[in-house]
Amino acid sequence: MTAASLARALPGATAARGGAAGRLVRAALRPGGVLRLVLGVCAVALAWEAAVPLLGIRPHILPRLSAVASAVLATPAAYRDGFLRTLAETLIGFSAGAAFGVLIAVAFFRLRALRELVFPIFVVSQTIPVIAFGALVVLWFGNTLLAKATIAFYLTFFPVAVNALLGFEAVDPRQVALLRSFGASPRQILLRLHLPAALPQIFVALRLAASLSLVGAIVGEWFGDTTGLGVLLLQAMYNENVVGLWAALLACALLGTGFYAAVAALERRLVFWRAEQ
Amino acid sequence: MSPASRAVQRGVLGAVVLVLAWEGLARGLALPAYVLPAMSDILAGIWRQRALLADAAGTTLAEAVLGYGLGALAGIGLAVAVALVPAARGAVLPAATAVNSVPVVAYSPLILLWCGIGMGSKIVMVALAVSFTLFLSTLAGLDRVDRRAVDLLRSFGAGRLAVLWRLRLPTALPLMLAGLRVSTVRSIIVALVTEMLGAYGGLGWVIYQAVLQIDFVQVWSAIFVASGASLLFFGLVGLAERRLLFWRTP
Amino acid sequence: MPVRRHLLAALAGLALGAGLAGAGAPAAAEGAAKASLRLKWLPQAQFAGFYVALQKGYYRAEGIDLTINPGGPNLLTENLVATGSDTFGLSGGTDSVFAARDKGLPVVCIGISHQLTPFVFVARKDGPVRTLQDFKGRNVTAWFTGANHVLNAMLTKEGIRPDEVKLQPQQVSVTPFVDGSVDVATATYYNELYTIQSRMGREALRTFVAEDHGVTFPRDTLIVSEATAREKPDLVKGFLRASVKGWKDAFADPKAAVDAVMAVAPTLDRAQQDFMLAEVKRLMTAGAARDHGLFAIDRAALAKVHDLLLQAKVIAKPVDIDAAYAPAFIDALASADRQL
Repeated sequence: MTAASLARALPGATAARGGAAGRLVRAALRPGGVLRLVLGVCAVALAWEAAVPLLGIRPHILPRLSAVASAVLATPAAYRDGFLRTLAETLIGFSAGAAFGVLIAVAFFRLRALRELVFPIFVVSQTIPVIAFGALVVLWFGNTLLAKATIAFYLTFFPVAVNALLGFEAVDPRQVALLRSFGASPRQILLRLHLPAALPQIFVALRLAASLSLVGAIVGEWFGDTTGLGVLLLQAMYNENVVGLWAALLACALLGTGFYAAVAALERRLVFWRAEQ
Repeated sequence: MSPASRAVQRGVLGAVVLVLAWEGLARGLALPAYVLPAMSDILAGIWRQRALLADAAGTTLAEAVLGYGLGALAGIGLAVAVALVPAARGAVLPAATAVNSVPVVAYSPLILLWCGIGMGSKIVMVALAVSFTLFLSTLAGLDRVDRRAVDLLRSFGAGRLAVLWRLRLPTALPLMLAGLRVSTVRSIIVALVTEMLGAYGGLGWVIYQAVLQIDFVQVWSAIFVASGASLLFFGLVGLAERRLLFWRTP
Repeated sequence: MPVRRHLLAALAGLALGAGLAGAGAPAAAEGAAKASLRLKWLPQAQFAGFYVALQKGYYRAEGIDLTINPGGPNLLTENLVATGSDTFGLSGGTDSVFAARDKGLPVVCIGISHQLTPFVFVARKDGPVRTLQDFKGRNVTAWFTGANHVLNAMLTKEGIRPDEVKLQPQQVSVTPFVDGSVDVATATYYNELYTIQSRMGREALRTFVAEDHGVTFPRDTLIVSEATAREKPDLVKGFLRASVKGWKDAFADPKAAVDAVMAVAPTLDRAQQDFMLAEVKRLMTAGAARDHGLFAIDRAALAKVHDLLLQAKVIAKPVDIDAAYAPAFIDALASADRQL
């Protein structure tokens, strides 16, 4: 029971989360929205820059934004390479997780016994903290980009599977019967009816997975790597380099918001019938 | 046999198969503990170290529950404030979404430098993670209210606060509770991850120490206990939810 | 619409490019043996010699296609070398090698980098702690990754029971010490001591050195698995030869060595890395290395560490020192070649 209700807990919260943020993405994509977004970012940047000297904040608590910016400009290659590397890990883990999530949902949907056997184990696996599991991934998958993508994958596939399954189950059985009476094959019914019907639900999970896959990539980089935003975060933290820490944090923020916005924009194109509601 | 009890049976069967496969793999291939310890060794390890693990679990749960409570209050409070003062929405919502899209773990180095490695930094991290989830889900719930119902209450002379208390909060409750439920597992994981980067105690600290002391049975024992603590916390919040939402259960 | 489509395409292209760049490892030289070195921490001047040797192709000249894998929190070098994930490892120190052997991990130490205890305990000069006796009842922080054993050994020699000191694990930051909420903190010569000095001034500090109390914990140990030591002695010797050459170059031209490290980790602070390399040179060329050269294994020091660890119950039973440490590989290199 716990397993099933834990699984059911996910989409509810993600729907809520996606709802507010989805609207925000839509607002930002309107013509005036871009301008407002830029103005908002500039306002925050100015407030940050002014607040540090005005409020007398010690630089090792919060450095000036200009100090952070000049740190990035001093070694732009480090931040660019770290950004691209983390982006690659995130995207590979995200794509694999999304594909596996949908596939496993199809398998669970078709084979009830498999679902009842395996699903509770998947649920429990999601309560295991990745960071504890990460050293093992290095042991099993080596010190490669793939090891990090695997952690991103592990965090991503579950919400996608849960939401896809819920989407499949919400399909009206009468529609299935109707299609079957026209001689549609199970494959056609899956591709033409179930997948499109579940797409809105799947995208709700994909938006959550966008942030989760980035978490996986960053934590994965804490297990010994040379390049990546996670490495920059760690190095700055242990050297008490607060300026570098903020620079890495802002790079993470840029990647996180950018990826999230990209998924939300893709959703708007693919699930247009829902977005108009 | 009812479908529900069959599902439970199969769930148990799946767990048993996994445990046996694990045990068989570790024993059959004679895997050393630093690759994968046998399940029986892990369970024995949990029993042997029960006092230490219970103590660590207590610390982690205390951090998670305190942070969870603070984060939930902050998130729900902010959502209600935004609902009451619509003018604030344009500023608060984009900021919250931007902060929320940064992976929570990225904040942990900063919070550790600011708040030290005591329980404070874990509580702040958990509160941070929980508050944004609850802010967004509560706000979505508050927005779900039927416009006509609001107009109706208004026509009876109800003020803004009355509409909030009588109509919008009850409507938002299911989404809010869903947010509260999903945040339970998350709060334990966030507390644990932060502990691993620096702490005086807790399950994450036990895992970190055990890795350095090359005690992999203890690493796995602590992971299992953490997983159990997550499920317990989740179960308790689920129970509370069923109590609160009794009028909705058919 | 088109703007968004282009953005997505660009993102996908970037990811693919980065992915391919990451996946396509540099083509191995003809016949070179693939091997990896796992460091104990993220790239910094503490490991400069290895990066110099890699940059100058010294490993390749020995027929080794080496990859350097940095360490990180919650990673144990002994573990990764024992499982074969990594061929070579620069692990915690003699304490972690003994602990690993005690737990049955099949690792062998082939060289010791830091001949002296690489950390000190610092107190403020105007504070209440003047001698080791003053540690009693004070707030002391130490890393629980070896430094705690050194501290306990020093206290025991002074007749102080470890539980008379309020010992806490040290956090990532030295700020609690600088702010005065901690009386004594642990600092490596090459890292934290620099940070503390630059924030408080060198004169404001009093340091407690393990060697002054008859305790030496050699650290930064080079390790391989038993299988590698047994089956590939030439690989091990080649690796040591190239590494020694890299370190000699690093000490001869510290500027170029720090350049080599900063090429890998460009966000590091240059001044701190210069300081680090100078301190590491002092630690690596002291003690047994003065007579026998870099990476010398000092058996007398090992026996002392072993007895201390046994006494402190860090290891449950006596460990066979000759099985855990194999000086034959490093001694195969002429001592003169290992001198600066």
